Amino acid sequence: MTNGSGQLLNITYFGRTSFGLESKDTSVLLNPGIWDGKPVVPDDRDVRIIVATNHFDDAVGNAAAISSKSKGWILGNEQTIEKAKSQGGKPWLLHVLKPEETYQIPGLKIVPYSLQRADPKSGEKSQNLGLYIEMGGMKVSYLGDTVVRGPFGQIEADVMIVPVGDGEVFAVKDAVSLCIDAKPRIGIPVRWTTQEQSSRFRKYLEQFASGTIPMIMEPKQVLEIQWAAGNEFRYKLS
Amino acid sequence: MSERKTVIIDLEENEKSRLGELSELESAEGSGVLGVKNVSAQTRIWNVRVNLGDSKAGTTIRDATLPVGEIDAGAKWTTSYGVDIEAPILTITETYDTCSSVPAESPHWAYVYGKDNPVKITLNLKNETDGQIDSIILNKTIPAELTKVRVESVKSGTAKFDEGTHQVVWKDFVIYPKEESVLVLSATGHVDDGSEKNAGEVVISYKAETQQRSSLDPDMTALTEFLSGIETAETEPNHWECTLECSNETDLMVRLDKAVVYLTPERGGEKQKMVDVAPRIEMKPKQSWSSVFEVDSKSPPKCTPDVVYTPMRVVKKRVLGTISKVPQTLPVYRIDYTKTFDPPEVNSLDKTPVEVTIEITNSGSARLDRIEVEDSLPDDVMPPKKEHITVLVAGKEFTGDYSVTVTPDDQNPEKPHKIKFKLTGLRDSVGELKPGDSVKINYAIMAWRNRPEKEYPSPIHVWANTHPAGLSSEIVSAPFAHKLGVVYRKRRTAAKKAINKGSKAGEYVIVLTVENKGEVTVENVKVVDWVPTGFTYVSTEPREDEPKRNPAKDGTDLVWTWARMNPSDKKSLRIVVKGEGEYQRREPEVTSD
Repeated sequence: MTNGSGQLLNITYFGRTSFGLESKDTSVLLNPGIWDGKPVVPDDRDVRIIVATNHFDDAVGNAAAISSKSKGWILGNEQTIEKAKSQGGKPWLLHVLKPEETYQIPGLKIVPYSLQRADPKSGEKSQNLGLYIEMGGMKVSYLGDTVVRGPFGQIEADVMIVPVGDGEVFAVKDAVSLCIDAKPRIGIPVRWTTQEQSSRFRKYLEQFASGTIPMIMEPKQVLEIQWAAGNEFRYKLS
Repeated sequence: MSERKTVIIDLEENEKSRLGELSELESAEGSGVLGVKNVSAQTRIWNVRVNLGDSKAGTTIRDATLPVGEIDAGAKWTTSYGVDIEAPILTITETYDTCSSVPAESPHWAYVYGKDNPVKITLNLKNETDGQIDSIILNKTIPAELTKVRVESVKSGTAKFDEGTHQVVWKDFVIYPKEESVLVLSATGHVDDGSEKNAGEVVISYKAETQQRSSLDPDMTALTEFLSGIETAETEPNHWECTLECSNETDLMVRLDKAVVYLTPERGGEKQKMVDVAPRIEMKPKQSWSSVFEVDSKSPPKCTPDVVYTPMRVVKKRVLGTISKVPQTLPVYRIDYTKTFDPPEVNSLDKTPVEVTIEITNSGSARLDRIEVEDSLPDDVMPPKKEHITVLVAGKEFTGDYSVTVTPDDQNPEKPHKIKFKLTGLRDSVGELKPGDSVKINYAIMAWRNRPEKEYPSPIHVWANTHPAGLSSEIVSAPFAHKLGVVYRKRRTAAKKAINKGSKAGEYVIVLTVENKGEVTVENVKVVDWVPTGFTYVSTEPREDEPKRNPAKDGTDLVWTWARMNPSDKKSLRIVVKGEGEYQRREPEVTSD
């Protein structure tokens, strides 16, 4: 898609690390996690594709329940798909993503890359898939929960959604450093737990990441991005 | 013996004034002593009365006439009184400039710590009266912190600095009516602590002859040894020549004011005034005066004289004054600073935002009007943008005017930068920076792939000044101070290679994995793998990692370059080559920054 209304993408933030991407062709739900026993995204969310970047509850969450109602596909690595299956995910709606193997359907292209996150309990490293997504004429890098950046520093993106925290995911400095290298148009921090983390992300991006707009999103906010007249990048935060 | 001795009415009035630190008048008190001195060597005077009339206003004297009584020869009678005054007849202004080398619209009022302060002291005296003032002696105490004291100029009189008493004495001059005199001193001031100093007291004494502060206009009457009588001589039968004779028997001048002679008629009746004159003659000692009149009478005429006289007097008056000026308090301006990095050290070869906090504290006793900071940032550091610099003054965010200059004006981390902050006019914006208060400057830098073997000093230079500005208080760090710490993180990259037979004849699949196993991100990772002669490159997976193919002596070098690999990042490549013969193995070469 290179022109017209096809070059528009709505990014809805549900909180934590959960996002919904909607274009005129399709919709994608990213990491519908369960946090403190509560799902971030309601079960009745209508969506075509659900992607969980790893098998932990804060990523897979209620993906199986959402999939059952919406008949949407669940995508993830083998561990994630196993987890979804164990939670009642329909086998015909499950798809294993392999690192660096492109998943493509009309209006959507996803390239997963193998990254790592720390186990919330043991601290051991396990695989997390970072996602490069092309949708609605936009390029989105979504790193999920990760402590490593993989190739994302070199991947051109319009929007980069990057985790910020300590221990399990990037420290603020690493998230900022990644945005400096990747130079996305918009950088969105997620998973931050203190205002200081998000404000430092914003402050450092404003200072040191020329051309990147830091965007701190609140749950239920929608970021609309589009190519106006085909070549002018515009954004609007609800 | 003088022929013209006169009683002296002496009016000696004193004024005592106190000036504040800036020569403002704090108090002025007047007092006086009214005296009558009998200068005679032999004669008493008695029934002495001092008459003040209406002139006592403005004094503490209640009565218009003061009954003095008797004063022996050579003795003196005195009485004291108070006088209302508003200001002294001599005004003094001291101007103490702690920094004469810097022109300013008003004198500098504080010492700068640790430097030689070029002090200039100007003492200006003005005679506010229409009479001359003399016997002036001015003592200026020179503070201990001043050395090289010199008299730069003196308009009149002599002025000398006494090393022993550490005082300048200015004397031997008069100031004519409405005129001024000026003394200029120079010295070098050096203070080694931040506490307030004092500029030294000024004390001046002076005399103004013939002047007075009150309006007293005293006069006097008295009696003394003065003979008077009538001589009667019959010149013809029943005709008498009568002579009134007066004689000054003292050694004083006596003024004969009035002489009257009454004749008692032989047959009774009212007395007849035979002499009635007001000679107002000033009679020297032993001098006589007479008046003759004739009377017809059968018997010697009965005449009664009435003579009014008084010893002559002169009024002498003067004003004696003293002025003491309170030493001016001279604060000291001094600054200290701290500079911190948060975090204090960064991982080598990484990109890390670092918060820089510079706090300049007013550690002296003077209020500061301007602060300037020059912070030097080393290379491998990205400087801040001006709009992201925060300045706090006395704990509150400063929104007034201040300038920030970054040189060069870019964010290139490959060059060192200087950031200069100028906060001026604090006096007019938030009030001056009080002692103990601080200016805090906060900004972030981005440590940019700092090398472990290199040092990153970030020295600082801070200036502070008062209003008006004089010499700056400065504090400079050592040239290699404030190093940004770099924690050495080991680089470790591993390259593994497997050569597998492909699905077609002559085809080989080379599996290449490159992994950053180190503790730090590596950049500009370059991997070179050799393909022997006889084989040609076919493809790579993933496709975006297609290598450059450089001809080599005995084959082809496949070259991959990745800008950055984080710890644990891993690249897996599957390269397909095709050719004939044995595929010889060589290990891939990996280099990085």
